[in-house]
Amino acid sequence: MAHLMKNLKVPPNSTSREEARKRTFDFFRLACRSIPNIMEIYNLDDVVTPSQLRSTVASEIRKNAHVTNPKVIDMLLFKGMEELKNFVDHAKQRHHVIGQYVVGRKGLVQDLGPKDEGISNFLKNFYSSNYS
Amino acid sequence: MGLGLLSSRTLLRSGKLRPGIFTPLLRRSIVSTSELQNAEAAQAQPDSPPPDLPKRTPVGGARVHFPNPEDAIEVFVDGYPVKIPKGMTVLQACEIAGVDIPRFCYHSRLSIAGNCRMCLVEVEKSPKPVASCAMPALPGMKIKTDTPLAKKAREGVMEFLLMNHPLDCPICDQGGECDLQDQSMAFGSDRGRFTETKRSVVDKNLGPLVKTVMTRCIQCTRCVRFATEIAGVQDLGMLGRGSGEEIGTYVERLMTSELSGNVIDICPVGALTSKPFAFKARNWELKGTESIDVTDAVGSNIRIDSRGPEVMRILPRLNEDINEEWISDKTRFFYDGLKRQRLNDPMIRGPDGRFKAVSWRDALAVVAEVIHQVKPSEIVGVAGKLSDAESMMALKDFLNKMGSNNVWCEGNGPSPNADIRSGYIMNTSISGLEKADVFLLVGTQPRVEAAMVNARIRKTVRAAQAKVGYVGPATDLNYDHEHLGTGPQTLKEIADGRHPFSSTLINAKNPCIIVGAGVFERNDKDAIFSVVETIAESAKAVRPDWNGLNVLLLNAAQAAALDLGLVPESGNSIESSKFIYLMGADDVNLEKIPEDAFVVYQGHHGDRGVYRANIILPSSAFSEKEGTYVNTEGCAQTTVPAVPTVGDARDDWKIIRALSEVAGACLPYDSLTAIRSRMRTVAPNLLNTDERQPAIFSYSLKPESRQEMSTVPFGTAVENFYMTDSITRASKVMAQCSASLLKK
Repeated sequence: MAHLMKNLKVPPNSTSREEARKRTFDFFRLACRSIPNIMEIYNLDDVVTPSQLRSTVASEIRKNAHVTNPKVIDMLLFKGMEELKNFVDHAKQRHHVIGQYVVGRKGLVQDLGPKDEGISNFLKNFYSSNYS
Repeated sequence: MGLGLLSSRTLLRSGKLRPGIFTPLLRRSIVSTSELQNAEAAQAQPDSPPPDLPKRTPVGGARVHFPNPEDAIEVFVDGYPVKIPKGMTVLQACEIAGVDIPRFCYHSRLSIAGNCRMCLVEVEKSPKPVASCAMPALPGMKIKTDTPLAKKAREGVMEFLLMNHPLDCPICDQGGECDLQDQSMAFGSDRGRFTETKRSVVDKNLGPLVKTVMTRCIQCTRCVRFATEIAGVQDLGMLGRGSGEEIGTYVERLMTSELSGNVIDICPVGALTSKPFAFKARNWELKGTESIDVTDAVGSNIRIDSRGPEVMRILPRLNEDINEEWISDKTRFFYDGLKRQRLNDPMIRGPDGRFKAVSWRDALAVVAEVIHQVKPSEIVGVAGKLSDAESMMALKDFLNKMGSNNVWCEGNGPSPNADIRSGYIMNTSISGLEKADVFLLVGTQPRVEAAMVNARIRKTVRAAQAKVGYVGPATDLNYDHEHLGTGPQTLKEIADGRHPFSSTLINAKNPCIIVGAGVFERNDKDAIFSVVETIAESAKAVRPDWNGLNVLLLNAAQAAALDLGLVPESGNSIESSKFIYLMGADDVNLEKIPEDAFVVYQGHHGDRGVYRANIILPSSAFSEKEGTYVNTEGCAQTTVPAVPTVGDARDDWKIIRALSEVAGACLPYDSLTAIRSRMRTVAPNLLNTDERQPAIFSYSLKPESRQEMSTVPFGTAVENFYMTDSITRASKVMAQCSASLLKK
């Protein structure tokens, strides 16, 4: 909680990609440090392990790995910070955590891994469902 | 006329003319018009309809067929002149004029009863209203359907019908689709005057399919006429008289006919309803999807009513050429098998013999690995009875790419001949059977193999007194037939002309020979077909205008398989195979599969095939996919998905396409349109849906066969009518039927 207060004031835009990269890693570390707190608030001990939540956060960050514009990265970090703050402040509820970040996350490890590179769109859609 | 009266009164009151003086102008205050003056002119001029009325079209957009265009007569319906063929009834004339007359007992495909009296209309110069369903229309008749007399008649009939009808609407399954409800709203009066007690009738037990609540019966006798005329069984009858009339079987009998479910559609009230569907849903919550039935080779058009992910019931769709308005009991009631024994996850058999659910990635990876370790000549593919054309195309393409040519479809026998199309379809189309006058059934029992074809044969036998000769094991057909013999020897006798039936065949105008697909499984199949062709030649059954040599297929997938060329290289490839791909194939003789062969089963039900399988790949059933099926007469039709797929199942052709990509032999299509254009290069008739493609070449192109005919008599291809494929075997209703309704 305390470490979140530091990021309340909106920092000026990052000047370069390296600074944005550093900010991303800082955000990730912040999120990982808040995970035990979140697990205690929402009683997630029987539902997920901290390691799974860390992987989830990492995959969410990795989803936007293709972004290059520092301003856009800043905006995404701002939104991520807002989400994190919501969870830490108990402004969201247990079903939000579970629905948005726990359920349906089977493809974590396989998310864009090396073995999926050579397959076609058809096969990707085939693996996910019958109607794509 | 009124004005004249008014003017005479004012004149009298004004006092100018004293009463007593005879003034013809005032006494007779009739306004004279030209029609009254000139009597002949009035009769010669018919009432022409006001010019601004729209042109009347027949009810339901129907087409009117004039068998004799010179014999058309003209009648007037509500003042509108309409031309009808001679011999039509008043009700049919009104239908052509676009007026829908309410009725309960009249049905266009049954004989006329005329006992409900709801169709009463007023006809000029008739002392009382006439039952339009029974009265033939005479030339110059003036029919009036919306006069106060006709309306009062309808209200009266409705009142009488509702007097003894129980107040069951909330618990009656027919609510929402009930003729009585609809017609009482449209034509009945708003209040009743009945204060006595209603009569009630004891319910009859007609079997596990038809639920009877005989109190609701309005004694229209549609079910009685259907059972005697179309189903051919005289189970139902009307017992008693007057208000004590009851419909029932006089003895405690179940309705064992294979068409018994159609009385549910025919009954206008909720007296006969579907027992499996009882209390399950109301008709307005159901979504109807137009699809095709796959339990037999007829391809009856059905409407699948579903609510969410569940199929609730199956109803027939009108198709004059194939199934008219009827469907067999198996088609109507097998849908609960779609909910049992479904495969929903890919599974691999572990070393302990038990199946373990895995992901699609792992399953396809394992299959691809095994298929590469095996020699191409040891790969075998079998398509099942319910496979659609797209998946069979994909299977053949994939196995050909892997180097194997041993792909076939169940039911086509060890060495099918797919070169000449007329050798495996019903060349006289199903509707063409009505024109035949002599039938010769060889090794086929149409009653259990294709119930709608049997209904058509029965229709022809009834209407034209066609003669039927039957060669095969003793069976009961619901029309008069001559049992000529049991084996191929009888065929030889008929071909040589020694049998008394040969003369019937030769003298027939349109002879029709139907060979069952059970003959495909025999070793002497070529010999039998050559004998049948000799018979056809002597009877002149194959002519430019009439082709009477037919094959009645058993499965929905056979015709498409032969059109696509699923012909194996060798007949006994299973015994020497190491990799077997069963696509929904449950009738393969599992004993013949060697112990070390790797079996992949791709299907939707856990039927016989899975017991030997090493890998299970779940696929979608016919109600969940869009597939092309060709029926026995060569008409391609498509099913439409009505419910979503179960679990993790995929469409058949998609599984094979994904497998081909994982195995490195990627097929060149990945969408439905792409696979259909591939099908177009092989068999373009599969793309022309709902059009029957007749065969071009006749059997004369076939080379002479030198096979010896064996003396083994013909067997039955379908032992149990109610349980023929994986879906029907999984159905509880079908199990009840085969336990109670099969003739032992």
